[in-house]
Amino acid sequence: MLVSEKEPLLPQLERAGVLVDYQCREGYCSSCILKLLRGHVIYPTEPLAWVQSGYMLACCAIVKSDIEISFL
Amino acid sequence: MSYSTFNRKHFDSMKEPMFFGENVNVARYDQQKHPIFEKLIEKQLSFFWRPEEVDLSSDRKDFQNLEPHEQHIFLSNLKYQTLLDSVQGRSPNVALLPIVSLPELETWIETWAFSETIHSRSYTHIIRNIVNDPTAIFDDITVNEEITRRADSVSKYYDQLIEMVNLYNTLGVGTHTISTRGEVVINLRELKKALYLTIASVNVLEAIRFYVSFACSFAFAERTLMEGNAKIIKLIARDEALHLTGTQHMLNIMASGRDDPEMALIAEECKSEVAEIFIDAAQQEKEWSRYLFKDGSMIGLNAEILSQYVEYITNMRMQAIGLEAHFDTKSNPIPWINAWLVSDNVQVAPQEAEISSYLVGQIDNDLGDSDFDDFDL
Repeated sequence: MLVSEKEPLLPQLERAGVLVDYQCREGYCSSCILKLLRGHVIYPTEPLAWVQSGYMLACCAIVKSDIEISFL
Repeated sequence: MSYSTFNRKHFDSMKEPMFFGENVNVARYDQQKHPIFEKLIEKQLSFFWRPEEVDLSSDRKDFQNLEPHEQHIFLSNLKYQTLLDSVQGRSPNVALLPIVSLPELETWIETWAFSETIHSRSYTHIIRNIVNDPTAIFDDITVNEEITRRADSVSKYYDQLIEMVNLYNTLGVGTHTISTRGEVVINLRELKKALYLTIASVNVLEAIRFYVSFACSFAFAERTLMEGNAKIIKLIARDEALHLTGTQHMLNIMASGRDDPEMALIAEECKSEVAEIFIDAAQQEKEWSRYLFKDGSMIGLNAEILSQYVEYITNMRMQAIGLEAHFDTKSNPIPWINAWLVSDNVQVAPQEAEISSYLVGQIDNDLGDSDFDDFDL
């Protein structure tokens, strides 16, 4: 799917009909955590939740390249 | 050795480990070894709320109209949550403050525990509103076997750590003979292990145990019942998500070894024991769901679905601290819970609320030019 840099990935996934769990939608609960298999995302403000390398928070990540993701 | 409320030694607090270093002296927040705890404090303070701000007037009527088995589900969850927050309102302070060594972490622990006391106060607010005699409910918490069994497992690690820290602070490391206990060996490595396991068990409490009750509260609210309660639970869930992040950070910082290298070894050594804590808790919560639904299910939720949810969140939480998922359940069996857990629209004042029971006669504030098309002057 084609995503934009204008908003985080989560609302874009939702509009595309992909259901991702969420709670805070601002980066502290890590409910929306996804595996980032390939590609690059950035966080305009660093999220409070712990994000291990190879993972991403859909609610606040801005996609910066082609990415491949999977559910946990 | 023995705890000092104002450590007179000169040391650089930026070089101290999170725990078992120097006792904190100056409460300063201009610099932090682990800035995350300062950010968590700020966030928690911004969340401040009071239970009395939530209107529960329709809940009393709703409660009286619930079927007896639904009242059992509702009250049992409240009792269990009361137990959990009774523990969480005091234990981080009692267990962790005597051994913490960073000012920002010390204050995070206090801020965290304080917010749990708000949760406890909200249970009193809810219970006082729905029954005439709250004492009968509160008294049952200490005698009901289903609840006390849970009390044992949530307080076990805290109590062990507190006992060891008491001995460490009075007698120091070494082998001691205590009249009631015989020979007791206190060493720092065992203390650190007890600490790591305690934080892991708290993580489980906040990450899994609370969510079973949350699911039931929101299942009532899905049927437009007990909506005031759901509003309070939503605020509690927002706090708990933050606390959960706090304990995940503590565990991950410990496991990374960048705070205290020995802690990384302990974390590695405890991996299977921590996984066991998660799996045991999931098992207990599944048993709890069977107890909740023993006299009948509720629309949208039964013991089977709730157990699948327990397995699902256990998998998620285990992976968040670098453990393998244990259960086969891959997807959330109650995706509707997200809409209730979402905290970006939490507003406590009833006139701002979106609860349907308050929407009678609601005025729509969104006006466009076309809204005046029918008007002739």
